[in-house]
Amino acid sequence: MDFGLSESQEMLRKIARDFFADKLPKTLVKEVTGTEKGYPADLWKDMAELGWMGLILPEEYGGSEANFADLGILIEEMGRACMPGPFFSTVVLGAPLVLDAGNAAQKKSILPRVARGEIILTVAFAEAQALYDTASYQAEAVKAGDAYVINGTKLFVPDAHVADYIICAAKTGRRATLFLVDARAPGVKSKLLPSLGAERQCEVTFGDVRVSKANILGGLNKAGTYIEKMINQAAAAKCAEMVGGAGQVMEMSVTYAKERVQFGRAIGSQQSIQHHLANMLNDLDECRSVTSRAIWMISEGLPCAREVSVAKCVVNEACRRVAWLGHQIHGAIAFQQDHDMHLYFKQAKVGEVAFGDNGYHGEVIARELGL
Amino acid sequence: MDFRFTDEEEAFRKEVRAFLEKELPSDWPGVDPDMYHEDAFDHIHEVSMETQKKFAAKGWLGLTWPKKYGGQEQPLWKQMILEQEVTYRGAPGVDAYQFIGGLGDLLLQFGTEEQKEKYLPMMVRGEIKCATGMSEPNAGSDLANLQLRADLQGDYFILNGQKTWQSAAHRAQLAPVYVRTDPEAYKHRGISIVLVDYRTPGITISPLVMMSGLEAFCEVFYDNVKIPKENLLGELNGGWKVMMAALSHERSYGIMLIMNIRRDLDNLVKYCRETVVNGEPLSNDTKVRNKLADMASQLEVARNMGFKMNYLALTGGDVTQTANQIKVLGGVMTQRVAALGMQIMGLYGQLGPVGGNWRQMDPNKDKWTKLGGRTKHLYLSTVCNTIAAGTTEVARNAIAGGLGLPREPKPAPKK
Repeated sequence: MDFGLSESQEMLRKIARDFFADKLPKTLVKEVTGTEKGYPADLWKDMAELGWMGLILPEEYGGSEANFADLGILIEEMGRACMPGPFFSTVVLGAPLVLDAGNAAQKKSILPRVARGEIILTVAFAEAQALYDTASYQAEAVKAGDAYVINGTKLFVPDAHVADYIICAAKTGRRATLFLVDARAPGVKSKLLPSLGAERQCEVTFGDVRVSKANILGGLNKAGTYIEKMINQAAAAKCAEMVGGAGQVMEMSVTYAKERVQFGRAIGSQQSIQHHLANMLNDLDECRSVTSRAIWMISEGLPCAREVSVAKCVVNEACRRVAWLGHQIHGAIAFQQDHDMHLYFKQAKVGEVAFGDNGYHGEVIARELGL
Repeated sequence: MDFRFTDEEEAFRKEVRAFLEKELPSDWPGVDPDMYHEDAFDHIHEVSMETQKKFAAKGWLGLTWPKKYGGQEQPLWKQMILEQEVTYRGAPGVDAYQFIGGLGDLLLQFGTEEQKEKYLPMMVRGEIKCATGMSEPNAGSDLANLQLRADLQGDYFILNGQKTWQSAAHRAQLAPVYVRTDPEAYKHRGISIVLVDYRTPGITISPLVMMSGLEAFCEVFYDNVKIPKENLLGELNGGWKVMMAALSHERSYGIMLIMNIRRDLDNLVKYCRETVVNGEPLSNDTKVRNKLADMASQLEVARNMGFKMNYLALTGGDVTQTANQIKVLGGVMTQRVAALGMQIMGLYGQLGPVGGNWRQMDPNKDKWTKLGGRTKHLYLSTVCNTIAAGTTEVARNAIAGGLGLPREPKPAPKK
């Protein structure tokens, strides 16, 4: 076994870390969090120039054909930097879905523009009555000649407020179908939800939205398989993001414990703080290795439903603990909005409930165990 | 042994409940038992001040205090029941910095006759709000390290320096402020307490925004602030003793946290009964039922510890150890209930307005917000409950001390 990174992966990590240290100070993160859009447009352009939007896309669409493990490294750095913006929804959710389910024309129309950083994608799946079970979706697409008419409400859609295309999973009879919908089409309305962290989530309502049947992705009634695969990959990628955040919490906490003096000595010399840090390190290392395994399996195209669910279950709990202890070590200074720690605290919670909490992934594990 | 409440106690509890039912707006969402919550918003602060007046009219402010200062000279158990019911209901207006082991009790214990006559009747009439000035940037857990200078010059103390993390100082008129009056003496031997009117020139108060979005923790800066020397509370350089008394009062704040969070668990149970997922109410889900049952049990145990502390206080026992245990429990329990709420509510737990108050919901933004966003608010606001008023680590150290364990070595006193 080899837990190490390749030379090119090490390089990618360094480039990403330096890039965010330079371009995305936490003051900027907090500043854009207060804006409607929620991310800095310049940063998006710079990232596109570095080739990150097309990192895992094939060369024929302007990508650089890196693998999913490489993407995982990049996303871990984004988590560490608390990067806001629609990268995850475009590059981890939308583009792989188009690559996976799209026909030649759809891929050619969408993917090169993604790679150039010109368009933003997102996927609308969850609803009030059903999060991941596509067969239970209520949003419906009804055939009308050569087109379908979509009606319904999708929830927790990431970055829909800035998206150019929304891939919508809508009921077509007993099953669901994926539709590539122009986000500016008449009848599509995105409204920001008053959410917890720096990320943007929306309620998207579809009111008599006409979509040509040429915009069906992956064939009629095929949403289930694609969405399941997307959730699986997204859960693993989300783990990488959360691990990146937890790693930064760990570093900040160690530094602070060494610098903060109370009772005439660094608080890190006290056993209560040392035990917190030791527990955090254990959590972090466990998360990192179990996430690497899941991401590597996706990268290799191996079946990994159980491994991803195990990773998400462990990371959900552990990253939350790490963030809590980070706060506990920092004391009062960190529950002020001026501090950076709460960004990670919020990131850990938002990550935990995204793409399956422990209820969802625990059930996957139970099924894989034969229960 | 007898774990029942007496008829008299039950009757008073009923009276308090009926009063709260009548006097609070029917859709009152409840506030955390700390001034930073009720004072963060103008419209809650207004209800708080109105309620304070109503409590005053009822004779419930300074309930146990001597009649000559406007009090009612009622037994302590009544005060305890009042606090329990008020905090369970999330009612504002019983300013903890005055009435629940706050400045009022410090004045009674350490104040001069003039100070008692000046301030206590004002409090009893519900006319003022108080704060407390303890923490500084370099005096958190190590409180004895505080540096805010107060130099006695003629008839005045001249204050220079800074306090921080002061709940709701921006709304308060009066606070006991912990100052350094002898910079030569070793740490806790050079501390005094002065009563500061926040309208005194030279004081600048700037609210800090907490991670929950609430704007009610304050930094207070002192620039050559003149405080009359008769405002000294207790002896010059004898402040540590007062501070220990104040902290021991403040740690009993744990019981308030426990009472307050119980209502959130009750609301969560209601949510689970009313929320249908996959065609079944959440309350039919075995895992959800087990988790709620487990949390209810933990809260029962915690509340019972609170009752034990009250019993010790009423029978003249030493409450120090129990108060520290309750401080740990109170902070931890609020975080556990918040975390359970977030877990059960899943994606919906993320939603809601700042302050988690359904009166603040915006029909446009909060269509999908459940429980007024209270769970999200709690998840963010309870982070400070294992830190504020003494971290759980410091409280655990004190508990270890109470067990007779040796203290960690301290650096030698500076000359």
